[in-house]
Amino acid sequence: MRSQQKQFFERSDGRTLKKWQIRKTGWVYLIPAWLLLLAIVLVPMFFSFTSSFSDANLMNSDSQFIGFDNYNQIFKDSLFWEATRTTVIISGMSLLIQIPLGFFLAVLLNMELRGTALLRSGILMPLLLTPVAVGLMWRLMMNIDNGVINGTLHMFGLPAIDWLGDRNSAILSVILVDSWQNTAFVMLLLLAGLQNIPASPIEAAKVDGASTFQVYRHVILPLLAPVALVVVMIRIIESIKLFDFIYILTSGGPGTATQNISLLDFRYGFTFLQTAQAAALGIIITLSLTPMYLLWRRANRI
Amino acid sequence: MNKSKLARFSAFIVLLFFFIGSLFPIYWTLLTSLRDRLDIFAKVPKFFGGNLTLENYRSVISDETFISSLKNSVFITVLATFVSVLVGSLAAYALARNGRFKSRRPFESWMILLRALPGIVLAVPLYQMVVKLGLYDNSWALVICYAAINLPYSVWLMVGFIQGIPIEIEESAQIDGASQFRILTRIILPLVRSGLGATTIFVAMLSWNEYLLPLILADEGSKTLPVYVGGFVTSRTIDYGAMAAAACLCIIPIALVTLLVQKQLIRGLSLGAVKE
Repeated sequence: MRSQQKQFFERSDGRTLKKWQIRKTGWVYLIPAWLLLLAIVLVPMFFSFTSSFSDANLMNSDSQFIGFDNYNQIFKDSLFWEATRTTVIISGMSLLIQIPLGFFLAVLLNMELRGTALLRSGILMPLLLTPVAVGLMWRLMMNIDNGVINGTLHMFGLPAIDWLGDRNSAILSVILVDSWQNTAFVMLLLLAGLQNIPASPIEAAKVDGASTFQVYRHVILPLLAPVALVVVMIRIIESIKLFDFIYILTSGGPGTATQNISLLDFRYGFTFLQTAQAAALGIIITLSLTPMYLLWRRANRI
Repeated sequence: MNKSKLARFSAFIVLLFFFIGSLFPIYWTLLTSLRDRLDIFAKVPKFFGGNLTLENYRSVISDETFISSLKNSVFITVLATFVSVLVGSLAAYALARNGRFKSRRPFESWMILLRALPGIVLAVPLYQMVVKLGLYDNSWALVICYAAINLPYSVWLMVGFIQGIPIEIEESAQIDGASQFRILTRIILPLVRSGLGATTIFVAMLSWNEYLLPLILADEGSKTLPVYVGGFVTSRTIDYGAMAAAACLCIIPIALVTLLVQKQLIRGLSLGAVKE
């Protein structure tokens, strides 16, 4: 076996035959994936790009080149700025709730108490549910007249809250539901991160007389930072992508209070039927993701 | 009770609190789906019991649109998952085995972009293309679209799992004269099957839950379950009992999968970070 392996190395100009082969043929394995990408991503994005400079809408098919008019119109549209603000608020508030809470739960689960495996399964459950069903569930519970939340408030003699009908409480409701579903994701990844931290630096710190708080602050948190960065990145991206459950829960309402950038793009395209404008907004969203994209490249994989 | 016992006890109580908070909405929806109008509209909520009935389920299941949506969902989920995992695994093999070919970097870039892009950005041009090609409301078009948008998950998960297999195994197989394709199908795939299972389950869950694409690219003919279920809120008077029943029917497969293969699903969800 050993002698055979030697021959094998000799025959392939200093490198192993294996590496030499895949270097030449690796791209073949990517052909089906490229074909899928071409049909569903590259061509549509190119199509979007060209039509964003035209006056196309769902009614007329022979469109004309109108330069940056669509972009100008979007930047002049107060709906666009409102949607941007809503997206930032939802992203920011969700992070502020989900990151600390997810970390807290991960630390508790990492204590590996008896019976917590079952508790963990339960806490993960919302993460797996169809977002549309999540929207329905909370719409059922947040209903102003016969929802269980207001019913419970009523039992304790508290006034009813218009969870979905008031501008401010509607956006809080969206953040609440998002956190209900997605805090478990933060918890799961941070828990994996905690479990991957080697025991030796923690023990060394304890031997040196560090308190539990000091161990977390100076040993565990710095070691967890790379995972935490990935989690923050994914959560920001997901909150920009947010569509399904908001569409069911509030449809962007009341008025346009919970209309984020994804919902606005949907409105442009399928309510106002301004296809070219929707395409232009799509290009704006794609470009605005550039920092996220670069960060992701640097974070390598995941 | 000493200090550390107290800490453990309070940790348990806090986790229990979040456990109940996580499950209550599901419990409440299930309970609502089993109730008649009288109990649903009770001013003081009944947290247990009452008159339980299967009437809501009967009315949903007897709806022809529900049955066709269920069929479409199963058909599209199964095929899209198959295509996505197959195509993703092939690409992942080349990426995992340090191939330094030219198309590598652009491919990775497109994977990241696709992962980050909101669905609606693609859905707008896809709608126009699908209409032009006469593929509007076509299940096969949805299969291809689902397979493509879930490709980043298939590829990244499989790259991680394939990298977990020692390359020496492949090298010795190569010495024995096996072709690259044979190595992939006879050695890598059997070794990576638990990872393959985790990827398949995760991508199937994503496909089952997908809402935006079928909402835009399909009508009655290839309506999927999430779109059917979502339809309950757009009607003027909401039938809460039936709506809850429909929501439950949509999440039952996921609940079953969670109970049966939770570890696999967690591996997928945590992007391979949690091994167990």
